Amino acid sequence: MPTEAPPPPQPPASPARKGSSDEDKGLVAKTLAGDRDAFGTLVERYAAQARRVARAVLGDPDDADDAAQDGFLSALVKLVQYDTRRPFGPWLMRIVANAATDRRRRRNVRQAEPLDPALVGGGPRPDAAAIRSELGARLRAALGELPERRRMAVVLFDVEGYSHAEIAGILGIPEGTVRSEVFHARRRLRTLLADWKEQAR
Amino acid sequence: MKDSQAFDHRPDPELGAALRAALDPKDDHKAFVARVMAQYERALDRATVPTIDVLASWFRPGIAAAAAALIAGLLLGRTVLAPAPASIDAAMALIDGPGLAALVTASDPPDASVVFASLVDQR
Repeated sequence: MPTEAPPPPQPPASPARKGSSDEDKGLVAKTLAGDRDAFGTLVERYAAQARRVARAVLGDPDDADDAAQDGFLSALVKLVQYDTRRPFGPWLMRIVANAATDRRRRRNVRQAEPLDPALVGGGPRPDAAAIRSELGARLRAALGELPERRRMAVVLFDVEGYSHAEIAGILGIPEGTVRSEVFHARRRLRTLLADWKEQAR
Repeated sequence: MKDSQAFDHRPDPELGAALRAALDPKDDHKAFVARVMAQYERALDRATVPTIDVLASWFRPGIAAAAAALIAGLLLGRTVLAPAPASIDAAMALIDGPGLAALVTASDPPDASVVFASLVDQR
């Protein structure tokens, strides 16, 4: 009798998956009642995710943190509008993504971070940390070359673990468009990742 | 890593991990949380608009709507209630009688009694 194939590896848990939806809603209710610490817990829980999503839009980490902060404070002000029948994460990420997009438009932030010339090649043989750093820089540069909506879609799907339907809600686009955006972004990024692995051997 | 040509409905753990490492902030997570929380009261203060401003914001569109409704009502009322303009022949037919000649041929404005007489003739 054939044995079952092992399940595919799961993506890293994100707040959207691991965070208890009921727990989020309880924190929202407490925040609305004026509990400052409850809002602090929500910020703590979603800070890393919000900063990554903002960085996917803006590239620059300082700009991204400003946008993520704007997003959290905007969410605090709009919290009374949050529909508790829906999950909190996508609602928050929509606000963060909008804050990042607004900031990019206002400041006309450049599309891609320039690569550090020392990392592109020609320097001494890098160590493992430098290799990882180089991959990170290349990935950020490749993300920066993608259209904004495409890079947000792939980050929300592959990094944060949101479903296509949730991303459609966050970005305000049809679910089919999300699938297409993720597909095209992956094609570009996977090629880059494969090339990098080849070079690293 | 998976086939790049295929649509896949599941997240790609390898690509996800690489992107996560590329986008993860390197600095202290707690410092960012503290920075957001430092703005907590300020954000709530900014969001609290004085009641009088709210009422004023409701009042302004109300005045505009009332003025528009009043103007529309007046225009509609004038159109509906205004008498249809009578033709000159119909008007002449009404006052046709002995006093008409005096009214039409007189070089001076007619005396009120003449006008009254022409109307009485019509009754």
